[in-house]
Amino acid sequence: MSTASTNPFNSPLRGDNAFARITDNVSRIMEAPRPPLAWYIAMAFALGLLTLFGASLGYVVWEGIGAWGHIHPVAWGFPIVNFVFWVGIGHAGTLISAILFLLRQNWRTAINRFAEAMTIFAVICAAVFPGVHIGRPWLPYWMFPIPNQMGMWPQFRSPLEWDIFAVGTYATVSLLFWYMGMIPDFATFRDRATGTVRRLVYGMLAMGWRGSSRQWHRYERAYLLLAALATPLVLSVHSVVSFDFATSQLPGWHTTIFPPYFVAGAIFGGFAMVVVLAVPARQFFGLKRIITIKHLELMAKVILGTGMLVGYAYAMEMFVAWYSGAMFEQFAFLNRAFGNFSWAYWTMIFCNVMAPQVFWFKAMRTNVWVIWVVGIIVNVGMWFERFVIICTSLTRDFLPANWGAFIPSPVDYATLAGSFGLFFTLFLLFCRYLPMVAMAEVKAFIPEGHAHPDDHGHSHGAHGHSH
Amino acid sequence: MASDEKKTKKSSGAEGSSVPKLPNGDSIRLGKEADGLRKGALGVGIVALAGAVVLGGGPYGKQFQHSYLTAYMWGLSIAVGAVWWVTVQHLFGARWSIVVRRVGELLAQLVVVMAVLALPLLIPIFVGNDVLYPWAEHHYFEHHAYIASKAPWFSPAFFAGRMVFYFGFWVLLAKYFLGQSRRQDTTSGDVALTKKLQSISAPGMILFAVSVTFCAIDFLMTLDPVWFSTIFGVYYFATCVLTFNSTLALSLMWLQSRGHLKSSVTAEHYHDIGKMMFAFTCFWTYIGFSQFMLIWYANIPEETHWFNDRFFGSWLNATYFLSVAHFFIPFFGMMSRWMKRNTGRLRFWALYILAICWFDMYWLVAPNLHKDGVALTAADFLAWIGIAGILVSSALTRARDVNLVPTGDPRLTKSLAFENI
Amino acid sequence: MSDPTTSPQEAAPLHGILAEYENPTALVLASRKVRDAGFSRWDTYTPFPIHGIDKAMGIKMTILPWIVMCAALIGLGTAVWLQWWTNAVNYPWIISGKPFWSWPANVPIWFELTVLFSAFAALAGMLVLNNLPQPSHPLDLKERFARASDDRFFLLIQASDPKFDEAEIRQLLAETTPVFIEDVAEDRVTSDKIPRALIYVGVLAAFASLVPFAFFAKARNATTETGRFQLVWDMDFSPAYKPQETNPLFEDKRATRQTPVGTVAQGELRADDHLYLGKTKAGTFVSAMPKGLTVDADMMALGKAQFGIYCAPCHGLLGDGNGMVHKRAETLGGGWVPPSNLHQEYIRQMPAGQLFDTITNGVRNMPSYAAQIEPEERWAIILYVRALQKSQGASVADLSEADRAQLK
Repeated sequence: MSTASTNPFNSPLRGDNAFARITDNVSRIMEAPRPPLAWYIAMAFALGLLTLFGASLGYVVWEGIGAWGHIHPVAWGFPIVNFVFWVGIGHAGTLISAILFLLRQNWRTAINRFAEAMTIFAVICAAVFPGVHIGRPWLPYWMFPIPNQMGMWPQFRSPLEWDIFAVGTYATVSLLFWYMGMIPDFATFRDRATGTVRRLVYGMLAMGWRGSSRQWHRYERAYLLLAALATPLVLSVHSVVSFDFATSQLPGWHTTIFPPYFVAGAIFGGFAMVVVLAVPARQFFGLKRIITIKHLELMAKVILGTGMLVGYAYAMEMFVAWYSGAMFEQFAFLNRAFGNFSWAYWTMIFCNVMAPQVFWFKAMRTNVWVIWVVGIIVNVGMWFERFVIICTSLTRDFLPANWGAFIPSPVDYATLAGSFGLFFTLFLLFCRYLPMVAMAEVKAFIPEGHAHPDDHGHSHGAHGHSH
Repeated sequence: MASDEKKTKKSSGAEGSSVPKLPNGDSIRLGKEADGLRKGALGVGIVALAGAVVLGGGPYGKQFQHSYLTAYMWGLSIAVGAVWWVTVQHLFGARWSIVVRRVGELLAQLVVVMAVLALPLLIPIFVGNDVLYPWAEHHYFEHHAYIASKAPWFSPAFFAGRMVFYFGFWVLLAKYFLGQSRRQDTTSGDVALTKKLQSISAPGMILFAVSVTFCAIDFLMTLDPVWFSTIFGVYYFATCVLTFNSTLALSLMWLQSRGHLKSSVTAEHYHDIGKMMFAFTCFWTYIGFSQFMLIWYANIPEETHWFNDRFFGSWLNATYFLSVAHFFIPFFGMMSRWMKRNTGRLRFWALYILAICWFDMYWLVAPNLHKDGVALTAADFLAWIGIAGILVSSALTRARDVNLVPTGDPRLTKSLAFENI
Repeated sequence: MSDPTTSPQEAAPLHGILAEYENPTALVLASRKVRDAGFSRWDTYTPFPIHGIDKAMGIKMTILPWIVMCAALIGLGTAVWLQWWTNAVNYPWIISGKPFWSWPANVPIWFELTVLFSAFAALAGMLVLNNLPQPSHPLDLKERFARASDDRFFLLIQASDPKFDEAEIRQLLAETTPVFIEDVAEDRVTSDKIPRALIYVGVLAAFASLVPFAFFAKARNATTETGRFQLVWDMDFSPAYKPQETNPLFEDKRATRQTPVGTVAQGELRADDHLYLGKTKAGTFVSAMPKGLTVDADMMALGKAQFGIYCAPCHGLLGDGNGMVHKRAETLGGGWVPPSNLHQEYIRQMPAGQLFDTITNGVRNMPSYAAQIEPEERWAIILYVRALQKSQGASVADLSEADRAQLK
């Protein structure tokens, strides 16, 4: 179905082939005079939470971080949990963009654009927390190696400093990768644009891209290079985040499996969030033919697989805690399961280990709403995993004299809820104004997109795109 | 798929027997020509092991046991890596690898001979001889009360049970995958079998993760009963993937040099195998560095002493050598397409990686024996050659008169035509 | 031939000939023909990259990977240098006993900066090699070309190609069965001047980018008399009361609170005058060690150690008043009363309690050491001082039989 468009060049009506349908399907989301009603409702909700976010952060900056529930011995509470949670969510986007690209999984083209967008927004949400929780949020530039009046430099031996570089690099590289991926789609928007403002804005963003094959050649090489760079990067980022804890001596924190465990958990939580976004997006933006049930089923399998990796890590921690014979280590894990925050621990086990097990059954992993609900459950579970690791271990460390209680303050909850507001606001804006699906990539992998120059008389077969 | 019906053509050779071939004319059967190599490898293997026993102070000699463990874990990594690889190809429904999967399935059968070869290590444990493992001695935990809580882990019955589980599971899985795949050869692309194998591979992967982790812990980590590291299983797993992929590449090259699979296995397949070798070199480095850096940073004596053993005297040189040779050289060497798509160059790297992985095992095991410094002895090399010879011989035995390609796989044609990015 | 009614665009020279195709296969076949015909200035335009067109067009591998490799090495070098110079050279400080240059701790940032520089190079390199941003191109004036980003595939042979022959090319392209062939004229209507506004913005941005560096330079080089600008006063001027301040909440207006009258803090009850004051109940100095202390070799060792720490700097290790402080003071000159020589007769005769009182309260120039030395340790020091005094004033009669035998 083609939209009759009026443009200053009076070009012929759009074609009715597979390519045009894809272009149309995706572009009309931006070109429609008004987004669907669901968008407005979601935006209202998101803006409400965003306001809450701004208000609670403003309150914290004004009053000091005592407004949160931080108290000795839990000097690191919700903010760091939220930070790790959001950074983890970002990882799925890069995995879908970069790692699935390297593995030649072409089904990624339907979802990679908004997964990458999700990454950017999740990293923005994450970056807010280190900025705010440092106690003197007007001095964050001290974290960077900028010459200052004290002649001092950041402490590079600290994992927190590595975090700055890791998350900063990750945000930058993700942004570059996302932007580069959108250049051809901006060109499509530019060429279809009716208003001057739209043409100018998308035209500038497209940088004058015209789809020359010589340019595509370098573009594809750059894409491959960025994917090859982003893959180890995403593994390194959550590993560096895990180093924040693993380099310490606290039982429950100091364990060598943290780096791959955190990465697996990040992918797990991230895919869950992709699913939570994809199911309504395809429903309300009419993308069901592009983001199909097959895509969702594959994502469900990834969730199951990474969930098992996370379960493996839980089991290894438990085993080595026993095996080590170290009293504090053993206590830390017994306490997690049976101590003061055991309810959080069992929530985590239920959400992360048990809930994804439904995906063993094909009926479950092909049911869109089951997938959506499990995605939400997994997100909750992953938040609780970080909470259990951080807060439980801090409330019950070496000396009983040092044990304490942790009671999150209302501002803690408000900040957590509000961060979702920032995320969803940005995401909804993206849905409306930016190309939600990587049109060029999708077109390249439909059957019509393959060239068969040597096919005269041979039956189809060898065109070499394997999965 | 119309073109998949006639997967093999039988061409009658001069002897009148039919040798299976692929539609592209490739020979896919290993016949008598490998017998010489098979017997030779077995002979070399047995003689080398005997030499290791003699030079290592007898079957219960300290040097022999340590050399043997080093070589054994190296050999086991190839077999276990094969089991993992076959399982993963089924799990992801990978198509590029179908052509080479049968060779992987055959290499996976090496777990059978590795189960038998474990006996020289297991017997001392069960008779209470602590030549290799301090905890094998019956009263060990009475003298080391601070780790007595882990004594149940080392009870002979539990230990035996675990060994039975590891090897039993691997043997069963390896035989199952090969058996079903060969059964599929007799059909003309039975998709049901492929689906069944895919559904088995998922729980198979879970049990695999458990088995390889605890096998590595039992054989390698317990050399120092005090030390522990949660990532140790993953560290050994990285080695498994590396040695297997190198062995796969070498096996394919050897088969092609003998006139089999000449046009079926292309630069594309070698490129992918090379990519795995490159990627898992990086992965090994990541895991190894994480383990080291976290223990270094927290500086807790009950963890650091293991690294201390490897950071003083000439062991420090060995550690530097390992990091440069196991990471920097293969990382820069294997980065380019050019290096991976040529069999001659890839052969170099495959042999290189096999060698450096052996040295990694040596670095894990030998500081237990040679506390004052690196001491590479003849027993170390003879044990290595011994295990390698027996593995070559065993693989060739198993590969006799078996289709070298899963001719019954419904997606074989796609794999034959695969082209890389 | 300038016809005044012809617009600049209508009279524009030929830029090239454009053919339009419906599917990728047709384009690839056409590309092969054009490549084989030996053209060099030509290109194809597609909405997505066509697999196989690189070969069909004869496009050579780009140098981009090498650019990225160079950037990676620069990134790595920067990371190594940065962490080494800042933490080990320019401002080294001790952190948890780790070496100033802790390479294991530097590895994560080595990796991150390598990737960061490489990523910038990949994108920037790609844009530069692709001549982007490219604001205008003659193809923009062709209406049909708008579908190049949608669902059609184009091939353009430029007139500047050395082998360009209009008739021959039309013939060649017609053989490839395109949907449409048209001429593309040079663009004579789009101005090739950069808009003024953009120039102003660019110049402003260039100057603005220097501002942070100016701030850095100022921070490193300027000093200031005035204090820092305070954003959140509570943080820098804490409302908590400091000692010696006035606190209007209390009757005596003091922030520092005294112990309530008639109370003794736990562990502060110094009931034993002998131990804590060195005096009897009557107030005279004692001569014996307090009953609660065990006088043994351990106490002597303790006394020796404490003497070496607190007393020896002035009184010297021999107790003869010739400690480092005295030696130093003598070289400085200018009226210095030397520390007492502990072997003088009147100090030998001093009761132990008086020695205790001296350590506790000081005497003349010697300050009180009560804050640094616990009472038990003071008695240990006194024990050692007695041993010192004996050592410097012993006679042969004091020696044991064995030692006397040695003297002979």
